[in-house]
Amino acid sequence: MVGEIWDLIILSPMINVLIVVSGALFNNFGLSIIILTIIVRGVTLPLTLRQLRSTKAMQEMQPKMAELQKKFGKDKQKLAQEQMRMYKESGVNPAGCLLPMLVQMPIWIALFQSIIRVLAVVPEDFLKLSGHLYTAWPQVFSLVPLNSHFLWLDLAIPDRYLLLPILVGGTMWLQQKMVTPKTGDPRQQAQSTMMLWIMPLMFAFLTMQFPSGLALYWVVSNVISIGMQYFITGGWGGLSSQAAAKPAGRDKRYLTRITMAEEKAADYADTESDIGADVGADIAVPDTTQAGGAAPTRYQPGLRAMKRHPKKSKRPKRR
Amino acid sequence: MLKKGIIGKVLLLAVLLMVLATGLALPTCRPAEGIPRGWSGVTVIDDALFLGSMDGELVAIDKTTRQRLWPDVLFKQKKSGGFGCGQGDQAVAIYGTPAVTPELVYITGYNGKMYAVNTETGALRWVYPREDEVDPIVGGPVVAGDKVYFGGSDGKLYALDAATGDELWVFESGDKIWGTPAVNGETLYIGSFDKKLYALNVADGSSKWQFETEGAVVSTPLVCDDTVYVGSFDRYLYALNEADGSLRWKYQADNWFWARPLADNGIIYAGSVDGTVHALTADKGEKVAVFDLESPVNSSPVLAGGNVIVAVDAGQVYSLSVNPRQKKPLVNLEEEIYAPLAASDGVVYIHSADDVLYAIDAQSGAILWSLELESE
Repeated sequence: MVGEIWDLIILSPMINVLIVVSGALFNNFGLSIIILTIIVRGVTLPLTLRQLRSTKAMQEMQPKMAELQKKFGKDKQKLAQEQMRMYKESGVNPAGCLLPMLVQMPIWIALFQSIIRVLAVVPEDFLKLSGHLYTAWPQVFSLVPLNSHFLWLDLAIPDRYLLLPILVGGTMWLQQKMVTPKTGDPRQQAQSTMMLWIMPLMFAFLTMQFPSGLALYWVVSNVISIGMQYFITGGWGGLSSQAAAKPAGRDKRYLTRITMAEEKAADYADTESDIGADVGADIAVPDTTQAGGAAPTRYQPGLRAMKRHPKKSKRPKRR
Repeated sequence: MLKKGIIGKVLLLAVLLMVLATGLALPTCRPAEGIPRGWSGVTVIDDALFLGSMDGELVAIDKTTRQRLWPDVLFKQKKSGGFGCGQGDQAVAIYGTPAVTPELVYITGYNGKMYAVNTETGALRWVYPREDEVDPIVGGPVVAGDKVYFGGSDGKLYALDAATGDELWVFESGDKIWGTPAVNGETLYIGSFDKKLYALNVADGSSKWQFETEGAVVSTPLVCDDTVYVGSFDRYLYALNEADGSLRWKYQADNWFWARPLADNGIIYAGSVDGTVHALTADKGEKVAVFDLESPVNSSPVLAGGNVIVAVDAGQVYSLSVNPRQKKPLVNLEEEIYAPLAASDGVVYIHSADDVLYAIDAQSGAILWSLELESE
């Protein structure tokens, strides 16, 4: 039952579209995969934009998060509450970073299944392809099997020259590097460095195991991501010599929210100091949103009294 | 805290990648998908049955006693590997039905090799190529005169000396060859993924004529009464003049023609993967009957006991006739059937996708016996 739904909704449409597009592109399956990648990335664009902005906002929040950990490290429940409060106040969804990848996973699996069918990799699977073809599209019957050659690649098998694993790993590293913040904290730096290498190495390994057509999707998708990150986050991010790029476009909204959260915290600190509980007011946090990042700001966790604070009406409005 | 943060993120990434790898790798590890298993049919010679098992073995069975004539001959190759599927040796998938002479049994492997085995003892006589291998071979071999022929996924049709395995000539088509050649007199017919049917001179492999369709040609041609019948992926069954390849008629179904057609009493029976068998007049291609079998017809039909026996993908076996028009279900094996059918003395032999060999009475549909070929 699940298999039938999968075939009906995802696999069969993908197979037929890939075949028709290949036919329109002189039986070039590689170009067809590139077109598919662009379509998928276009459809998931809203999620990607959310991810990019969320990632950038989370980068800005890292120093504050470090302070929260320092402050409530022994009280995990309290720490979690404060972190979630911070996320909520800043309009950041931590899980949002993973959503575009999760959405694309079924596409990867369906693309893999499509490749082994339309390229006649295995006779049994190729024979089953006939059941996926749309009778209303007569041209698809004659176009298969598709031509598996694209540039130096046989799209049905892993790249024997190992160029594709390098391309997949390299583009993924670049993409990761662009969103990895530079920080003065050596512990965070070590953590970021580890994360920077794990994903590219894992995907390079997967590229050596699976058909090149799937890896071609990953490379094109990575290049699109790099381009989007460049134009949306306003530069090369972690690749540039500056610590952080100037915010661009709608990013300002998220940064404004962070600023709001900080202001709230500061206001709350003032209130608390009136009753002799200036918790965390002595913490100096380097502001990484500025180039050079030397100017210290104060951050005060604990925002429970926000709603009843008298300065609420003076806060900047959301854009 | 630092360690916990790193471990948490690494675990999260690992879980994501595991989900991906599992989704990608599982199809390649499942027997039914991504891994070639084979669908060798049965060749009946006197009292002996020869076929390739899904464990990569050439099996010879006495059809009366159901005892092995000699120990199964195992063909192995180095495992190509795949994520999570391990390494080492693996059985060679065998798609072609063996060709048998009194001296040798010929069988092709998906590992790109052709083997000749002594018919009496099962001892390996020769292998082609002797070193390395050609691209995967899906079609079966055909013996005619002193030559044996087969086509490969490299698009080449090979003619070898049947006794020694020496290469005599090679004809190169424009794309993969997955079909089994048909030989009639001095002419060999073979279809290719390049959408053409070729007629070759068996003496030297020179082209006599070629006929281009609009789709790949996998179906093994049928030569009958100066006419070549062949199905194509363009959904047409073609009837061609054997002498010059000119078109006599063509007939359209709703999906590919994969299986070899069958001729009986002036009627051509052509099974399509659209789940129907089309009965057409041999001379003009006029429709006599269309039998809806509700499941793709992948395996070639056979004539047994005066009846046309057809098996469908879902495992149901039918007996068909046009006069009177009749579709009689014989038996449901409840297992996929890809292998071409074979028959002898009113008994139909079917090799199912779960690697079981069935002997079925062509009249009643009773399963006379079944034999699991899977090695222990």
